[in-house]
Amino acid sequence: MENKIPDFLLERTSSETYARVRGKLKTSFIEKSIYHLADVIRTGYVQWETASRNDFLQKVDARVKVLFLLFYAVIISLKRDLVSESLIGSFIFLLAVISRLDIIVLYRRVIFWSFIFGFLIAFPSAFNIITQGEIIVPVARFSKSYSFWIYHVPQEIGITRQGMLGVLMLTSRVMNSLALSFLVLSTTSLPEIVRALKVLRVPDSFLMIIALSYKYIFIFARTVEDLYLAKKSRLAVQASNAEARRWIAGRIAFIFRKTRLRCEEIFKAMLSRGFADTVRIYRFRRLTALDWSTGICFFIIGILFLWI
Amino acid sequence: MHIPDGYLSPQTYVPLYGASFVFWSIALKKLKKELSTKHVPYLAMAAAFSFLIQMFNIPIPGGTTGHAVGAGIIALLLGPWTAVIAVSVVLIIQAIVFGDGGITAIGANCFNMAVVIPFVSYGVFRLMSGNSKSGKRVSIAAFLSGYAGLTLSAFVTGLQFGIQPMIATGADGRPLYAPYPLEVALPAMVLEHLLLFGIVEGVVTVLLLRYFLKNETDMIYALSVKGS
Repeated sequence: MENKIPDFLLERTSSETYARVRGKLKTSFIEKSIYHLADVIRTGYVQWETASRNDFLQKVDARVKVLFLLFYAVIISLKRDLVSESLIGSFIFLLAVISRLDIIVLYRRVIFWSFIFGFLIAFPSAFNIITQGEIIVPVARFSKSYSFWIYHVPQEIGITRQGMLGVLMLTSRVMNSLALSFLVLSTTSLPEIVRALKVLRVPDSFLMIIALSYKYIFIFARTVEDLYLAKKSRLAVQASNAEARRWIAGRIAFIFRKTRLRCEEIFKAMLSRGFADTVRIYRFRRLTALDWSTGICFFIIGILFLWI
Repeated sequence: MHIPDGYLSPQTYVPLYGASFVFWSIALKKLKKELSTKHVPYLAMAAAFSFLIQMFNIPIPGGTTGHAVGAGIIALLLGPWTAVIAVSVVLIIQAIVFGDGGITAIGANCFNMAVVIPFVSYGVFRLMSGNSKSGKRVSIAAFLSGYAGLTLSAFVTGLQFGIQPMIATGADGRPLYAPYPLEVALPAMVLEHLLLFGIVEGVVTVLLLRYFLKNETDMIYALSVKGS
């Protein structure tokens, strides 16, 4: 489905116009921060947009989805073979398709992070220096083996079958966990997820803290972005790194002061609306037939995954 | 530093959820008692600040930039118990919204970054600064507090990774979770923080503390507690 947010708003423009000079400030700290902040704001809006559609998982109650997320995250962490992980991965993919999510966007993100956190980090462990076993890809051979303190380098170095299986297992587990998280995140807005955490008996005040801070993270992220844009627009000559660090320290302190002030304002607003020391999250709507049937299906399929 | 799903076995992430839960409960109870009705907006804004601190990319010598975790400076500015809740909320939001850190690893991540860093940083600062309220000694204490907090947190994370091949292996002996043994995981995690990230964290902590010392000393919890 076409995203409702216009494409030009999702585009990332680059305006890195300053030259690299040794010992002098590059604008990269400004660019990186603006990019980082824009990404935070963008992620929040895109998530809200995909979650507000009227497709399969979007229609399911957030409590069912939160329990599904936790149950399946545990199942993924418990499975010890590639076949089970592949089946779980296919099930998550199917759910993403019937929820009409943008599969390319979703899986590009999943594959990228799985490659970094799963494959790339774990790959060196496939060698027999880390994981002993049957060598399937010999890489190097020395005249003798070497030992240094607690470390041992064998005469022949290579990728072992056991090591490679371990890497693939870890990568598929990371990939399934990420796909599962992104699936639920793309079909549920954070305020709904936070409210749904009540089924896990998380105290209302803690949920309120999460919901409130989430809202203000976006408000302050805009403020910080404006600070950087203002700095960038005023930067006619290069500044030293030390000067940049002093400026950043000042801006962080400014944000700190702003959060303290906002805390007072929010508290006064809460009092003016009759807040009397009891945080109470509103009651949930009744679960529909779709919620129950989806929840039961997820539970049965989960048990099957645990059993196989 | 954020541990993704799949690296920790249930034998590790379940107890760490429990440990974090204990700290969250104590922190919430303590802060509710101290702040009364104001604790919700106070902690929410502390969490927002904790998130935003990570948005500032700071130029570091060598031509690159880095950002701080910020848990140490938050412990100095707002107190370690406030930092426990503020940083935990940030880690939960990061895991839920941005996919930074796993769902099963939320307990472990909160323990490593929202419990270890604030208490170590706060403890080191109080110990090193002694009775001083300004000057070189406080700056050194601030640097060491940021440095030690992050490095010890990396040590604890490395320990959690390193014990996985001992406690969770398949029938053929292959590790089922984080594959590196202690002798690899621990130096890998600790060395990079000892030599680089710890220094960045220390520098950010000094920079911010010095700014507050110069302009708003009364806003620093670690110094106001000392004075009372």
